[in-house]
Amino acid sequence: MIWLSQHPLSVLTFLPLAGAAVIAFLRRESADRIRGVALAFSLATFALALKLFLAFSPNQPGMQFVEYRPWISSPPIGYHLGIDGLSVLLILLSAFLTPLAILASWASITSHVKEFFLFLLALETGMIGVFVSLDLFLFFIFWEAMLIPMYFLIGVWGHERRVYAAVKFILYTMAGSALMLVGIIYLYTVTGTFDLEVIEGLVAGGFAGLSGSAQTWLFLAFFLAFAIKVPMFPFHTWLPDAHVEAPTAGSVILAGVLLKMGTYGMLRFCLPLFPQASREFAPLIVVLAIVGILYGALVAMVQPDMKKLVAYSSVAHLGFVVLGIFTFTMAGIQGAIYQMCNHGVSTGALFILVGMLYDRRHTRQIKEFGGLATTLPIYSAFFMIVALSSLGLPMLNGFVGEFLIILGAFHVRVIYAVLAAVGVVLAAVYLLWMYQRVFFGEVTNEKNRKLPDLTDREKVILVSVVFVILWMGVYPQPFLRRLDLSTAHVIHRVKHGPASYALQRTPPPAEPAR
Amino acid sequence: MITVQASDFIRILPQEILSAFAILVMVFEPFLPSSRKVVLGWFSLLGVVAAGAAAVRTSYSLGPAFNASIAADPFSIYFIALFLLVAALCLLGSFNYLQRDNINHGEFYALILMGTVGMCFMAASTELIMIFLGLEISSLSTYVLAGFKRHDGLSNEASLKYFLLGSFATAFFLYGIAFVYGLTGTTNLMTLSERLSRTGTGGTPLLWVAIVLMFIGLGFKVSTAPFHVWTPDVYQGAPAPVTAFLSVGPKAAAFAVILRIFLGAFHAVGSVSFQMLWLSAILTMVVGNLAALWQSNVKRLLAYSAIAHAGYVLVGIAAGSAEGVSAVLFYLTVYALMNVGAFILIAPIAGTGERALRVEDYTGLGYTRPGVAACLTVFMLSLGGIPTTAGFLGKFYLFRAAIHAHLIGLVIVAVLTSVVSVYYYLRLVVVMYMREGQPQATSEPLPLALRVALATSVIGIFVLGLFPLLLKKKGEAEASPRHTKLAQVR
Amino acid sequence: MLEAYLPVLVHFLVVLALGLIILGLSAWVGVKRPSPEKLAPYECGMPPVGDARERFSISFYLVGMLFILFDVEVAFLFPWAVVYKSLKWPGFLEMFLYIAILLAGYLYIWKKGALDWSR
Repeated sequence: MIWLSQHPLSVLTFLPLAGAAVIAFLRRESADRIRGVALAFSLATFALALKLFLAFSPNQPGMQFVEYRPWISSPPIGYHLGIDGLSVLLILLSAFLTPLAILASWASITSHVKEFFLFLLALETGMIGVFVSLDLFLFFIFWEAMLIPMYFLIGVWGHERRVYAAVKFILYTMAGSALMLVGIIYLYTVTGTFDLEVIEGLVAGGFAGLSGSAQTWLFLAFFLAFAIKVPMFPFHTWLPDAHVEAPTAGSVILAGVLLKMGTYGMLRFCLPLFPQASREFAPLIVVLAIVGILYGALVAMVQPDMKKLVAYSSVAHLGFVVLGIFTFTMAGIQGAIYQMCNHGVSTGALFILVGMLYDRRHTRQIKEFGGLATTLPIYSAFFMIVALSSLGLPMLNGFVGEFLIILGAFHVRVIYAVLAAVGVVLAAVYLLWMYQRVFFGEVTNEKNRKLPDLTDREKVILVSVVFVILWMGVYPQPFLRRLDLSTAHVIHRVKHGPASYALQRTPPPAEPAR
Repeated sequence: MITVQASDFIRILPQEILSAFAILVMVFEPFLPSSRKVVLGWFSLLGVVAAGAAAVRTSYSLGPAFNASIAADPFSIYFIALFLLVAALCLLGSFNYLQRDNINHGEFYALILMGTVGMCFMAASTELIMIFLGLEISSLSTYVLAGFKRHDGLSNEASLKYFLLGSFATAFFLYGIAFVYGLTGTTNLMTLSERLSRTGTGGTPLLWVAIVLMFIGLGFKVSTAPFHVWTPDVYQGAPAPVTAFLSVGPKAAAFAVILRIFLGAFHAVGSVSFQMLWLSAILTMVVGNLAALWQSNVKRLLAYSAIAHAGYVLVGIAAGSAEGVSAVLFYLTVYALMNVGAFILIAPIAGTGERALRVEDYTGLGYTRPGVAACLTVFMLSLGGIPTTAGFLGKFYLFRAAIHAHLIGLVIVAVLTSVVSVYYYLRLVVVMYMREGQPQATSEPLPLALRVALATSVIGIFVLGLFPLLLKKKGEAEASPRHTKLAQVR
Repeated sequence: MLEAYLPVLVHFLVVLALGLIILGLSAWVGVKRPSPEKLAPYECGMPPVGDARERFSISFYLVGMLFILFDVEVAFLFPWAVVYKSLKWPGFLEMFLYIAILLAGYLYIWKKGALDWSR
């Protein structure tokens, strides 16, 4: 027990996997027990994540709750875990969304229940593992291993074109990460270590082993992997397919957490490790991000399918996040991180809401609906709140993030801020227009007349989401406070990283920290 | 005057024991009724285990044997252990198969043992003529094994094709040996290495011809790209457990020879070997992976995947460093586990006469036979190089060695083609889990022997995937003493 | 280096020329008086009837193969016989083992019925 309490990150990471192992031994027929076990483990993980979040000290720089064990001695790969303000938020987000995803698929998943929840919990381990790893090799293992459960979730329990979407998802992501693997190995051959903190220290200290062009190539290798994951325009084409074809839980996790891994990777690896290249590429990336914002919004506007609309809105929202990151300002990056969480909660909730409607009507076409506000009043109210949060209404969570990002963009160039603001307006247009067509007016379709309103289970999901939305919108301080030091750290690294490296090729034999 | 000492016999103890068991199996064979032939199978397995024990004994008295034509060094012991593992897995996978497909002859086991003997000699020889003899012993056994289903047209075709092209390739190898002897006056690898390094680097055009000829001969055995055309047909036609044996055993043995010859003896003319290996690696990876995309027959799909994997191994060899050698050794073991596992698992799925071999025949297998499908998924993911499986770490070590040797272009081709490979490996997973329908595949329960073999492979894949040093330490030890000169290959 | 092979080349050319000359001379000088007997494939022996590609009993092939197998392997006895005195006991034992393996093979084909002509 003492060991467990001393290694909270390991416990947090592998608790869901333990749940998956328990489920593996349950009988296939007892579906409710399987669901119960899955929920219990995910709630326990959430409780643990919450405890960690509260215990996380905002005033202490660097990584906290660090664990280190040598794992493979040749090459020196360490089991190195730790969290800072950035990862603690994302862990909380992952742990929060997983129980919701489980609840959301409580009744809608009826075939192969055991495997479904098994994969969902395995996925959670992968997600948390990505956020806590401080060793590039370990990070890569979680990053890749996580694809398999997601692949199965989309491919087995998805909708009509699920196989196409699943294969496209996994191939796109792997193509990106394959080059990242080359980058990781190259980085190892010049630095002699996989340990993120050691490499970061070397780079910050003006490490001589990396030439300018090597840094550029490494930056591109990493950035491509993350850009595909985010997904940034023009690498986004896998996203609508995967989101639309995935089951509700899959979409929630995809939008809520998996996309954030891309932006997390940029903050954690690209900026601190390759500061010069980051600075060089920032203008281009910012432009791509803004193109993504506008493109995502415009395409979302014309979607006839609600789920696809939400999917394209993700492209736009993640464009905001990338924009915020590459402003290299305190406000921009804090806003970006905050927006990552907002998007996770709001878009996750939107997918859950669309999924609830789909469970009732087995269609997601906007034209099939109309006047739902009269038949489903409670549902409509929740949908309104979530939609407003997604479009960034003040007092709700989306506002804080977008405001900070636009503030950051303003400092770089006014035109960036203006274009981003146009994106906010467009978000309001497509969400409210969709809301109007679906919920207001006369009930045009007879099938919509007798739809049952929310069940208690669904109310629990939505109430908890709305609670978080309000909290994050009204009182963001507990979250932002924890971000200060980490953000400052990243900005310091990227702004004051050595301008260019001498062209020497003598990697110092680096020992892992500690 | 050649003197023979008792220690010489200890240094080839595993091969002796395997040969003895093979002969005994042949002698007992006619005396056993058809229903009890499986006894010979277990007896052969005993032989493999005994040979394993003998290998342990041999590892305590390392050194050259028979006038330095054979070396009992860590390198050869490692490979012998690998071949014994492959033989054991294939034996376990074949008991039930032979009975089911009505080819229940004891010669099968004897041929597997003799093939293993040949492979062991290939890996252990430090003399070109001995290598050639080992190559022939293993080849002859496998030619017969490929055609073991005598009444099956495809199997006959496989055997004949393998024999004709195989003997052609060994002729190339022999021709190369003749050139080498003509140029240097020796066939001993150590002497060769000394003489070549004395005459300086570069070598003569005639020596390059010799190198290319020998590589063609060996390239055929490992099925590298221009010499791979036989592979799909032979793998498809041969009985599945034999395919398992073919796709790993002779391949690994030929790689052992490539390491000994091109990185050991010819290191003075490394640049020629390097260019050849580099080109061959790229071609093999691209051809293997792209061709596999279009296959609808599972055995052909895996055959092209086996070609592609030869390409990955060549990346490690092209690195030409001790690190590369160690990575190759590790990879070959991993490859053995996953490939043998996949092929012996195909046999029971395909049913009597191996009829259900199309990819579509696997539809819905994930729900009718969850255990079988889960095992196959593990093999596929490992072949595709997904982390936590040994397949990933194997590739990782290969690529690391290559990047260390500044072969970044080669590694980029390798990772991109391996992403392509994920597509066709996942095709099987897709049909097993994501397509509705009743599988064509049969549903008889797996026999115990096969279960043991599969469990060994799956557990091995995960253990090596998480704790590679259990084996990797060995691999490094093997790589160091013999190949210290390798670092300066290029 | 190649000059050393010049005599071989000269030899090769002389042989080629000689053969051509002799054949040419006999074709040119010789007298040809064909008769039916002379045109038959064999001047003596049986007249050929039917197709030469007849099917033989598989036993012929089997016996042929086995003969070559054992014949060639017995040939190893000759070099051994020359030096067996200097090889002493180890040499004797080794050849004993060799013969034993041959015997095992013989036993195998016997029990398999390869020597049984009537099957």
